[in-house]
Amino acid sequence: MSILDEQALTLSIDPLRVEELKADDIVPMWRQRLRIFMHNKLAIASVTYLILVLIFCYVGPLFYHTNQTNQAIALSAVWDAHPSAAHWLGTDSSGFDELGRIMYGGEYSLTLGMLAGLITIIVGTIYGMVSGFVGGVVDTVMMRILDAFLSIPYLFLLISLFTIFSRSTTFLIIIIGVTGWWANARIIRGDALLIKKLEYTQAATAMGARKWHIIRRHVFPNSISNIVTVATFSVADAILFLSALGFLGLGILPPQTDWGTMLQNGTAQISNGYWWEIYPLALVFILVVVSINYIGDALRDTFEVRLLER
Amino acid sequence: MLAYVIRRFFQSLIVLLIVMLFTFTLPYFQSGGILAPAYSVLGTHANPSTVAHWGLVNGMDHPYFVRFKNFLDQVFLHFNLGHSYKQNLSVWNIISLYVPRTIWLALSSLIFTIIIGIPLGIYQASRRNTTFDYTATGFAFVLYAMPLFLLCLLMLQAFSFGWPHLPSSPPDGVAPWAIFTDPIGFILPVACLTMVSVATLSRFMRGTVLEVLVQDYVRTAKAKGCSGARVLFRHAMRNALGPIVTILGLSLPGLIGGALIVESVFNYAGLGIQTVNAATNVDIPTVLGITLLATILTLAGNFLADIMLGVVNPRIRIQGAAS
Repeated sequence: MSILDEQALTLSIDPLRVEELKADDIVPMWRQRLRIFMHNKLAIASVTYLILVLIFCYVGPLFYHTNQTNQAIALSAVWDAHPSAAHWLGTDSSGFDELGRIMYGGEYSLTLGMLAGLITIIVGTIYGMVSGFVGGVVDTVMMRILDAFLSIPYLFLLISLFTIFSRSTTFLIIIIGVTGWWANARIIRGDALLIKKLEYTQAATAMGARKWHIIRRHVFPNSISNIVTVATFSVADAILFLSALGFLGLGILPPQTDWGTMLQNGTAQISNGYWWEIYPLALVFILVVVSINYIGDALRDTFEVRLLER
Repeated sequence: MLAYVIRRFFQSLIVLLIVMLFTFTLPYFQSGGILAPAYSVLGTHANPSTVAHWGLVNGMDHPYFVRFKNFLDQVFLHFNLGHSYKQNLSVWNIISLYVPRTIWLALSSLIFTIIIGIPLGIYQASRRNTTFDYTATGFAFVLYAMPLFLLCLLMLQAFSFGWPHLPSSPPDGVAPWAIFTDPIGFILPVACLTMVSVATLSRFMRGTVLEVLVQDYVRTAKAKGCSGARVLFRHAMRNALGPIVTILGLSLPGLIGGALIVESVFNYAGLGIQTVNAATNVDIPTVLGITLLATILTLAGNFLADIMLGVVNPRIRIQGAAS
């Protein structure tokens, strides 16, 4: 183990807890990171909450059977019914069982959010790495293009695209994924620029490694911390933007639904006092986004060596 | 300084050209291609030769780049953002009344954001890890996680239907100065828009000030006996302002996009509502025209922010002149 690695190890541990480590207690980097992450109680709570919500949305419908395709007229059910034994959280203004609806809408919101976030980070990473690492004219051109898209107000851009292209669920994922990566690309580019100047990259260049090889073997692994952090925030943003689209009536088409559309429908009933159509979902939704963002923050702290020095 | 301004201006211009190329190209992808508007004008059952003739008359048959040049001429020389075939009006005619209204909405929110967000962030940084800091951070997290429309509707529920009976909507009509003649109606919309931006700005401000507070010159200032407030405002804040001006510039698109949601919730006739209406009617030229205008507003805001940054920070304008 080289001196540099040892330095990195000691720095990545909370200096206040250094004495807890024994000399032979040298553990892999990722486990050290994990330990720092596990010290963050709120982050653990967030992860737990997210897992519970995922189970609730995807496994819940197996135990709590509801009809989420036929409206009240077809079901001869009641709309806006108060919570009862038959409908634990009442029914909404179309007669759908609210609790089942939250699970059903959650499946769409979470799946779409995660998929869009994934696309965002893949495209953003590749673009940022290439731009930052290749540099020169390529970098300038790629960054000006990025500037251009960053200066279009995002909601306006989404609306433009949805007006022109069709509005299928697949397309919703693709559009949010393909348009959400600009800020990510910038952050990753910053990383690539930094890593490009470091000794080991220069050594690889001197030994005749090709650019693509260096990006793959050196730049990417060393900026993985930022990529993971940014990916977390991207998922939260994608869920938020999806809900905004749902509010504007540009979201998922009925009979499918997502949390944004549901919140929009629920808020229409707010002044009637039908609290069950809005507050339970609002609480679940906000906590989901807060948790994801908090996990992102905790990840950043976990990877950020400097922060621990303070 | 002049060199810096000119350089920034041309950079903005290039960015604008890329955006224009983008909005110009998009209609090629609508179902039916660029000749699709012909069916709005001539009726859905128009025969192909009539459609082709319409395309010829309107210059749709020109090569891509010739059409793009004509588009640039129209925008820059005639201030023509396009023609809405659905309403048979120029896009500028449709939206001109609403532009100042949205600008006032966004601008007043921006001003309140700065007045509240910057001191809040500094205070949080100076009282790091206290109950106040945690509370403010918690609020910021929740505000950041809440969809803007939900916040608006909850505020509406709390302060318009509950107490103290604030108007649920700004006054009707299209007067551009409404925000000054009847400010009470604007309290809720501006407050909602401001709350979200304050959440972001104060968190950034807190982070930046924290970074500045560990610098050597702050330690020196403390060592020579400066009072806490003097250290904070004379030494720390001035150095933290640079990144904040940049952040404010970058938050402009979000502010204008947020105005779209706020306008929809509070039924305030502005650019946002026009966009949503146009989108519902699949009025593509109007949507793209407004998008272009919103981008121009953003770029103008960014440009001004950069000039301000150059004024307050000599390092930047000298760097700008050198390169």
